[in-house]
Amino acid sequence: MNRVAIVGAGHSKFGKRKDVNVAELAFESIKQAVTDAGIERKEIKNVVVGSAGGWYEEALPAVIVNEYAGLRSVGTMRVEAACASGSAAVKAAHDSVATGESDVALAVGVEKMTEVDTMTSVELIGRAGSYMWEFENYGMTFPAYYALYAVSYMNRFNTTEEDMARVAVKAHHYGSLNPNAQFQKEITVEKVLSSQVVAWPLKLYDACPLTDGSAAVVLANEEVAKRLTDTPVWIKGIGYSSDSANLSKRDDYVGLRASVEAGRRAYQAAKVTPREVDVATCHDCFTIAEIMAYEDLGFCEKGEGAKLVREGQTEIGGRIPVNLDGGLKAKGHPIGATGVSMMVEITKQLRGEGGSRQAPIRNGIGLVHNVGGTGHYAYVTILSRGA
Amino acid sequence: MTREEEQPTLRSRRSLTLRFDIPISRTHEFWDALGKGRFVTTRCSACGNESFPPQADCPRCMSDRFEWVDLEREARLVTYTYVQVTPASFVNDEPYIIAIGEFANGIKVLAWLEGVPVEKAKVGMKLTVEARRSSEGNPYYVFVPSLPS
Ligand SMILES: [Zn+2]
Repeated sequence: MNRVAIVGAGHSKFGKRKDVNVAELAFESIKQAVTDAGIERKEIKNVVVGSAGGWYEEALPAVIVNEYAGLRSVGTMRVEAACASGSAAVKAAHDSVATGESDVALAVGVEKMTEVDTMTSVELIGRAGSYMWEFENYGMTFPAYYALYAVSYMNRFNTTEEDMARVAVKAHHYGSLNPNAQFQKEITVEKVLSSQVVAWPLKLYDACPLTDGSAAVVLANEEVAKRLTDTPVWIKGIGYSSDSANLSKRDDYVGLRASVEAGRRAYQAAKVTPREVDVATCHDCFTIAEIMAYEDLGFCEKGEGAKLVREGQTEIGGRIPVNLDGGLKAKGHPIGATGVSMMVEITKQLRGEGGSRQAPIRNGIGLVHNVGGTGHYAYVTILSRGA
Repeated sequence: MTREEEQPTLRSRRSLTLRFDIPISRTHEFWDALGKGRFVTTRCSACGNESFPPQADCPRCMSDRFEWVDLEREARLVTYTYVQVTPASFVNDEPYIIAIGEFANGIKVLAWLEGVPVEKAKVGMKLTVEARRSSEGNPYYVFVPSLPS
């Protein structure tokens, strides 16, 4: 298998992007990524587009995006792994380069979630489970899925709504330093606790927003990477797993088994341990999700996640800085774009381009944790600055 | 963000409504029984595995031979939430409690919890399954708190 590097990264402004359609939005990231890589588009033989879709007018986003960006006759597909569609796109593009099928491949994540009304978006995400047994009669919502975990978790461990609120405060702090983030204002624990309850115990400020956005990365084999750049970021290992569609079939509600398994496989593939990770993005679609992710990925013991936040261990200067881009919570969560956006963030961190929110890089190792649905899918991708 | 929201958009002339005819022929007995107030599921005739939701093909041994068995009525509340922002197709519903209950044999079921205010819901409380019928005439099931025995 060929080694695969990220040699170009692009990221749109996230938010309510009523100024662009899906192709124009994807193009913003594609142009940046191609320019950042310093390649000709004709070198790109494979384009994988991650997008959940359904809330914007185009049914075939891959060909719409490629046509607009002048990417002709490329091998292409659109992939879906719910909120992990972006990581799935990177995985598929990675494999195309790793097997030698392509020298250069492009992974694009894009979502436009605000062309339909908010309640219709809530409906479409709520159906992302087992429709017949969870939605048809019971109207599950995305917050409700994670609220089932939050109640069980709070009941089992010494964790409060205030602990969860601290995750949101951290996210908004780093979001305020990221010009691409949807929310750029600091918030307080009080503001989180007094916000509207969406699915108790989760409140509006425990939840990621509905977001339009795109991100793109150019992947290349070793030969091309060394020609293009002195700072390739290598994909050192990918682990991915899944769990039941129907939440009632899960073993427990205090962690995501798919995350644990994806993490284990990624650490094994990359031959690194959780302690060696310098900087990470964790899938924080809700505040409880970030707390569980710390534990599922081995950043701390089970039940210790809230303590990590309380002690500031996941901020810059802490043991393992997490979501220095504001996370899904403040940066926004354009479903299919999120995984690619995380790759862009960790690539910049490992290159030392994090600016005011740069993490100290000691081992040159970064981790991307991207969950689809409520632990229905999980992808963990380990990136490395050095060889 | 105000400026962005003022961008010109073209509202599509074509709207789309989706209603699905969901096949239930292989497990229709579940819905038939529920309509008569019984709560049943499938047990694999080859390996004895009980599934919920009911399924005609065994996920453990892949056999398609199965029989219907009554599920116990009483479950223990494992976790719950109180949904206050509802999806578009539930806008006419009052906020509802969604619960996961576990039966003694380990089978877990997700359903609404009715007949108890959310402040009185407690992890570990005893629940009973009851059959209901929607305004369209479709049977479904809910949890209610068990009466003290
Ligand atoms: Zn069987």
